[in-house]
This record gives sequence, structure tokens and C-alpha cells, in this order.
Amino acid sequence: METLSLMGAGFLNALTPINLLMMAGGVAMGIVIGCMPGLSAAMGVALMLPMTFTMKPETGLIVLGAIYCGAIFGGSISAILIHTPGTPASAATAIEGYQMTLRGQAGKALFTACYASFWGGLLSCISLYFFSPLLAKLTLKFMSAEYFWLSIFGLTIIAGVAGKSIVKGLISGAFGLLISTIGLDPITGVKRFMFGQAYFAEGINTTCALIGLFSMSQVFILAEKAIKERAKATKFSDKMSLTREERRIIRPTIFRSWIIGNLIGILPGAGASIACFLGYNTSRQFSRHREQFGQGSIEGVAGSEAANNAVTGGSLIPTLTLGIPGESVTAVLMGGLVIQGLTPGPELFGKYAPMTYTFFAGFVLVQFFMLGIGLIGCRGFAQISRLSDAILIPCVTVLCFVGSYAIHKNILDIVVMLVFGILGYLMRKLDLNTAAVVLALILGPIGEKGLRNALRTSRGSISVLFSSPVCWVLICLCILGILSPLFMARLEKKSMEDAVSGTAEDVGKLTEEDNV
Amino acid sequence: MKMKKTDIGVVAFMYIVCAYFYSETVKLKESSQTYPKFTIILLFGLTTLYLVQMIVSARKHGIESGVQEVFKDFLPLQFFVCLAATILYLVCIYFFGFYISTVLFMVFLLLFLKVPLPYTAITVVAIIALIYFAFSRFLGVRLPAGILMKALGR
Repeated sequence: METLSLMGAGFLNALTPINLLMMAGGVAMGIVIGCMPGLSAAMGVALMLPMTFTMKPETGLIVLGAIYCGAIFGGSISAILIHTPGTPASAATAIEGYQMTLRGQAGKALFTACYASFWGGLLSCISLYFFSPLLAKLTLKFMSAEYFWLSIFGLTIIAGVAGKSIVKGLISGAFGLLISTIGLDPITGVKRFMFGQAYFAEGINTTCALIGLFSMSQVFILAEKAIKERAKATKFSDKMSLTREERRIIRPTIFRSWIIGNLIGILPGAGASIACFLGYNTSRQFSRHREQFGQGSIEGVAGSEAANNAVTGGSLIPTLTLGIPGESVTAVLMGGLVIQGLTPGPELFGKYAPMTYTFFAGFVLVQFFMLGIGLIGCRGFAQISRLSDAILIPCVTVLCFVGSYAIHKNILDIVVMLVFGILGYLMRKLDLNTAAVVLALILGPIGEKGLRNALRTSRGSISVLFSSPVCWVLICLCILGILSPLFMARLEKKSMEDAVSGTAEDVGKLTEEDNV
Repeated sequence: MKMKKTDIGVVAFMYIVCAYFYSETVKLKESSQTYPKFTIILLFGLTTLYLVQMIVSARKHGIESGVQEVFKDFLPLQFFVCLAATILYLVCIYFFGFYISTVLFMVFLLLFLKVPLPYTAITVVAIIALIYFAFSRFLGVRLPAGILMKALGR
């Protein structure tokens, strides 16, 4: 009953004009970022993070959630119209979507993508509402030692993602943990590794590091390669709609993809790029019109898009309840949460429950904005996707500068951002994992407090770290976390191969674009 | 998979980081050394594990440079001009303030990247307007005025 009233109050709070305005702005910004190949969802959320500081926490989180959802959907626009997925999450959409464009059905493909994204995102909110409080209650049993292991688990999960080498991912995480020790000792107040600068007393500014590692480093990546003219987005004249029969056909596909996307989202370490291929494959397996796959199937587009958007709600569950973001976007979102002074876990569903449920309600409403803005603005967004890297490079640089300065109004913040930008660029070039560094910066202080408090209560005995069943469960999860990238990489490779079997040309092109 | 020479740099960098942080850690009070030492040992151990992997790869499959792969299609002039412009932009902000520096930086970089003049003008105006309305007006952020501008103002 109490939960129901919180849900109701959440919707009332989310429906304030400022929140609605922010949802619309966030979704539009997200779609713009998503449809531009070369810009990622994580980069967009990191770039917009400083703008949320002066907002109420719930409004700030709604904006970030809106950018996240918008960017995941936005990737499909360029995937369908120019055969270049805006984000890796739309790689599978490009297969059928572009075929539909070639057949003069771009409007239909875009409508399907928008419609399926809407339902995928909306349905994912059900699990967000249902599972989050349950999982948060579990963490009430956690003591210092468990929090230490939880932070290590979070790191092991993300450390192996996205890189070619698991050890390199773990090295990135350990490097981030070491950097997180810069600043005053949280227990004794001793100055640590501050290079004689009082500025570092509170440690490395996480937001600046986030902007540097995700956004500024991307600028350097764009700056090192020849500026290419992007393909012209196909102008389409067909109606953006589906018949009643076509909607009936894609309904089960959307439902299946929702379950797939949601599970993948909840599973730390897996992301939208895996979900889209799994959703696409499953839609093909269950389709009664298999012959249409590879020729431009609406079921293929719906399967991929519903799955990647269903990831959004699912991935928020471990992030908000356990503080374990499964991928880089949610790591950045968690950064936003921590910066607002909020700690993931039971507190969000107790003391801060009104704020959390307002965010959830906002997340539901964001899906409606995504549907509306997506359908109305598709043609315009398609043109934006052609924006040259030559224009993006200085624009994103300026936004990185102003964003990092806006936090504390200190020029040194820009210096830190720039240093992390260069570091992020080199890390990405050398296959190290920038998301692991960010997560370590966020989780490091939590883990340190957990470890030191546990050792203090046990008078220095390390056995306290292995004293409870929960500790052992978390240790097992850490081991699984280290090994999961092997499994995930195989899963992604297999689903990608299955998805494009028979269309060999697409494999090469999509893989190449994914790496971008 | 062959061992890449570029990974030697990664390993060397991580060892240098470990050495620096260790030398600073031993200067701390005993009670403050525990956690930094834990992270240093962790990083050192993982780096060593990677080094072992590299050696095994080198023996099994041989060695390759890795530079060509890392810097494929790399345009040194474009990259370093962009990097230098970005660093100069930071210095300019300190002296001339945010808005003047932003206009100079954007005009220079857009023209350098061969963006036609009309598009350059539109982009600069759009970004300046966005920052003014979003940051200065909406968020109330006072952007740096620059020490030279401040001195002139006096």
C-alpha cells in the first residue's frame, strides 16, 4: 500500500512543468547524441552531468535518464537511414532497417524502431518498479566487509567489459582504485598523494574525470582521423506508420525482446549491444515470415530496438540497489547519483523513496516523450546525423570545458578534465578500460571505508572479510565477474554471427562501425 | 595472439605509478598505509600477471610492433594541432576569459578543419548562445572573466 502511494506521489511530482520540460529536452538531446555516429550515450550523459548539479536530484536524474533512453533510440535513426549505427546498441537494427530504406520503407522502419523502443523501455519500467525495492532490502544485511566485497564485485564486473583482455580491464580498475586514494584519508585525515595542492583534499573530482575519460578522449579520437563526409541520409516520403496487422505481428516480438533486454540489463557486464543482437536473433527464430529477414523485416527492427531499450530500465536495477552499474552509461549515471550526495542501496528506497519514485515515474514518462519526439522529429534528426566531425570536435571540447568548470567554478577542474581526457585517449588506444577507472573512482572510497571499518572492528584480523555467508556469496560473484567477460564475448560473437549469417557483407561493416 | 611492443609501455607506466605511490605511501602514518598498500599490491600483481602473459605470448606466437594497429590512419598534424589548440584554449581562458577564448578557439579550429566560413560563423554563434543561455542564465554559472580582462576593467 505504501509503495502504491509512493508510486502515485512519484507521478504527481514528475508531472511538474519543469520536470516535463527537462524530459523533453533530455530526450531530444539524447536522440541527437545517439544519431550521430562517433558520439556515445555514455559520452552524452557525462557531458550533460554538470548541468544537473543545480537541479533537484530527481530532476537531474530524470534528465540523465532521458538522455540515456533518447541516445539508445537515436542510434537507430542513422542505422536505418545511412546504414551506420549511431551507437553499438543499434548495430542489429541496421541490418533490416537499411534494407527497408532501400525498399522505400524508411518511414515504416523508423516508426517500427520508435514504437518498439517505446514499448521496450516502458515495459522495462515494470521490472524497475518491482525488483529494485526487493534487491535494495537485501543490502540491509550488508556490513562493512560485505560493502568491501560489493565494491570489488562491481569492479570485476565492469573491468572485463569492452576490452580485449580481462587482465587489462582489471589493471584499469586497480589503477582507478589507486587514483581514488588521492586526497585526505577518510578516517585519519592524513594528506595522501596530493602533490602539495590543497585542491586535491577532497580527492579527484569524479565528474571532471568522467567528462575527461568519456567525452574529451572521444574528441581526441575524432581528431586523429581524417574528417570524412558522412553519407546523405535518405529522404523518405512513405508514411510513418504501421497497419493494425503489422502491429499485431510485432507484438510478440516486442514482448520477447523486452524479457531478453531486461534480463541482459539486470545482468551486470552485459549491455544494449548484446541485447540488440539477441533480440534480433530471437525475433528471427520465432518469426512466421523468416523469408523477410535480410530483405527488410519489421520484426527484425522491432526485435532489436525493443531489446536495446528494455536494457535501460533493467540496467538501473543493480545500479540503484547495489551500486553496481553494468555498463559505462549507468556508471556515469551512478556518478551523477553519488555527486548529488546519494548512495545507492536501501536508503534510496527508505529515506529518499519520494525522490527515487519520482525518478522512476519520470523514467516512465520519458518513454512517452521518446515516442512523440522520435516520431515528430525523425526527419530533422536524420539530417543532424550528418553533422561533420570537424564541427563536433571544437563544439564538444567547449562543452567539456564549460561543463567541468561549472561544477566548482575552478579552472583547475578543467586541467583535471584535460589530463583525464589525454589519459582516456591513451587508455582507449592501448585497450585499457576507461569505464573501469570511472567505476573505481566511485567505488574506491566505498570499498576503502568498508575494508578499514571491517579491519578496525576485528582489530586488524583479515578473517573478518570471510566471516559471513554473504561475504562468500560476494567472493563467488567476484570470481564469476572476472570470468563473465569470456562468456559475454562468446555470447555477443555468436549472436552477431547468427544475426548476420547470410549477409556476410554486413558483418564486416557493422563490426567496423562498432569499434568506432 | 602475438605480443605487442606497445604493451611494454603499458606495463612500464603501471610499474612507475606503483613505484611512485609506494614511495609516497611509506611516508604516511602507519594507520594510513593499509589501503593504499592494498591497491598498490593489487595493481602491481595484475601488471605482473599481464607481463607474464606477454612473455608467454612472445614465446608462443612471437612479437609484433602494435604501433601500426594503435595508430592506424593517424594524422599527426591534425591531431597535434587540435591538442595544442585545446591546451592553448585553457591558457587563453585564464588570461582573456571564457567567451573571447571560446570564439578564438572555435574559429581557429573550425577553419583549420576546413569548415566553410558561413558554417563556422553559425557554429560559433550557436555554441556561444547555448552556453550563455544554458550556463550563464539558466544555471547561473559565472564563467571566467580572465585576469587581463579583469585588470582592464579596473
